[in-house]
Amino acid sequence: MRISHHEITALLIQLGVMLLVGRLFSELARKLKQPAVVGEILAGIILGPTLLGYFQPELFEKIFHLGQSSLVLDGFVQVAVVLLLFIAGLEVDLHIVWQQGKQALFTSFFGLVIPFAFGFALPYFLNDYFVAATDHTRLAQALFMGISMAITALPVIVRILMDLNMFKSKMGMLVISSAMITDLVGWLVLSVVLSMMGRMNEMSWFNTLWLTLGFTLLMLTIGRALINKALPWVNKYTAWPGGLLSISLALCFLAAAFTEYIGIHAIFGAFIIGVALGDSEHLPERAKEIVHQFINNIFAPLFFVAIGLKVNFAANFDFVLTIIIIIIAFAGKIIGSGFGARLGGFTLRESLAVGFGMNARGAIEIVLGLVALEYGLINETIFVSLVIMALVTSMSSGPLMKLVLKFQPKK
Amino acid sequence: MFSRLCLAIAFSPRFEALLAEAAFLTKLFNAHLTVLHVGEEKQENVDAISQTLIHKTLNSSQFRIICEAGSPSKVILSVCKREKIDLLIAGALQKENIFKYYLGTIGRTILRKARCSVLMLTNPSADGMSLTNIVTLAEDSPFVEEAIAISCTLAQASHAKWIHIVRELKMFGLTLSALEQSTEKEYDNQRHHLLQEEIDKVESILNRVPHSNVKVNIKVISGKSGFELTRFARKKNADLLIVGAPNRRIYFFDRFFRHDLEYVFADMPCNLLIVQVKKDEN
Repeated sequence: MRISHHEITALLIQLGVMLLVGRLFSELARKLKQPAVVGEILAGIILGPTLLGYFQPELFEKIFHLGQSSLVLDGFVQVAVVLLLFIAGLEVDLHIVWQQGKQALFTSFFGLVIPFAFGFALPYFLNDYFVAATDHTRLAQALFMGISMAITALPVIVRILMDLNMFKSKMGMLVISSAMITDLVGWLVLSVVLSMMGRMNEMSWFNTLWLTLGFTLLMLTIGRALINKALPWVNKYTAWPGGLLSISLALCFLAAAFTEYIGIHAIFGAFIIGVALGDSEHLPERAKEIVHQFINNIFAPLFFVAIGLKVNFAANFDFVLTIIIIIIAFAGKIIGSGFGARLGGFTLRESLAVGFGMNARGAIEIVLGLVALEYGLINETIFVSLVIMALVTSMSSGPLMKLVLKFQPKK
Repeated sequence: MFSRLCLAIAFSPRFEALLAEAAFLTKLFNAHLTVLHVGEEKQENVDAISQTLIHKTLNSSQFRIICEAGSPSKVILSVCKREKIDLLIAGALQKENIFKYYLGTIGRTILRKARCSVLMLTNPSADGMSLTNIVTLAEDSPFVEEAIAISCTLAQASHAKWIHIVRELKMFGLTLSALEQSTEKEYDNQRHHLLQEEIDKVESILNRVPHSNVKVNIKVISGKSGFELTRFARKKNADLLIVGAPNRRIYFFDRFFRHDLEYVFADMPCNLLIVQVKKDEN
């Protein structure tokens, strides 16, 4: 089967329109001092079934659903999500995490456990929204909702801390390292949940689980050491940064392929290889910056605009559910991370600020939601509420942190 | 700065060079030197040490010799504690093999556990301390000011050409990626601001430390701090690397999720001084 001339044209138009409108709205978001993801999601809503598909259904079909072009676009979006998780992994600095000591441990532990518990309880209380055929599926739903409440968006936090001139402060480093721990544990738990769902392959649940844990352990120990040994050679004998970038992305795709093969999502492999690569002292910061720019400005907009193309936000919007999810998200993170920071020796106001900082969910929450949607763990209504929660928490984190710290007595 | 020095010594080919370095520092700081030999006391050994130190123009009131048997690192650390030593001097290999690195050698154990300043000499000179390039880390150690002050004193005393003061930009890649939604001008300004902020911090410390007749170069690095520091010291052909002691103990786990200093311990680019001043006695 070959893709036709018209389908290629349609695909290129899709990519062009998505990048163009995505950029337009992310610029608008930037002017309003909001994260780019807010504008990109909005661009998707405008281009997708919510607005364009509703008012101009023929034009929408012509642009986005011409023959196999939408299938190829779906492939692009899959690659985009893998790359997004790869850079999320690159950002995890195990050494920074370890250096922060017990304060980071407390903040991340309670910032993880309390929101997780809040989220875990949701499917058992909201039976109408979380339809589950078996107890097994209900458990997987509960675990997923727990992770979705616990996860934190590191890039959003970094930006907020920089805007508040707190990036290098004690609190800033604490928030960053706690977010790193939360992400690492969150993705590990998600991989277990996905292996429980065991979709699309013949492997037993047990085999998927031990392969997942084995892969994680291997990549974070021997794999990490091997990458660290190989990178000086790559830097020395291959073109820079081309050689390093090609090899890094190749490793990312291979690891993603492996985890997809064993029955958990490709993004998990990409995340773990990102952690292993990012931890190497031979991966220059300049290379990380290039990878970030390349992915954040090309693949991330494609992914976020595609979210709006996939889901009808108007038809699936449930006000009550959205409010409940937002309240649970705020309460879990502020109580959990705030309590952890307080135990770690911060003042009440500082602890509250840490809680608000950790509350930003950003892009990662949306990726997580999409994975759950693909696996049938949640329906489109819950997905829409999760996306809105991710946007609200990301937009409110900075102003709330600023507000709390404004009245902080000077030491 | 340092009033009680201790030199831990074995009868190796570097014996004389180590004594020469210790004698130089004893005179420079007008201090008292304790020479510690871990092993049985033999008169010929004591005489050899005495004669070498007297030859290096120390008088007998400026030093004493102790011989104690036992586990070398334990004996050295306990003598330092008992004698209230400010600066411990010892010889070390530049690099340990991977197994020794994880298991810990005498030199590395001392570096990790000593509660006073430690000078590890990988390349001691029989002519005493002769310095051309000193690299000093100005990271957020409680002893950063003392580390810079000591590097200035040593540079002045040995007529060093340069002191390179290194400051780290934490998570530079991540920081810049967070700026991706900025215009070109905003991005450049932020980048410049980040670098300038680090330079200003070093300059504010330098304003408090006398450093006349010393040429100072401030270098901002990014990446894994300890690793980049080692690389920079090697690039500059540094004779001495000075760092402030960390604000917490270094544990076994720090060899896996490497502490900045562990990169230096794993492959010392030159002689290494870890500054740890007892604040209450200062």
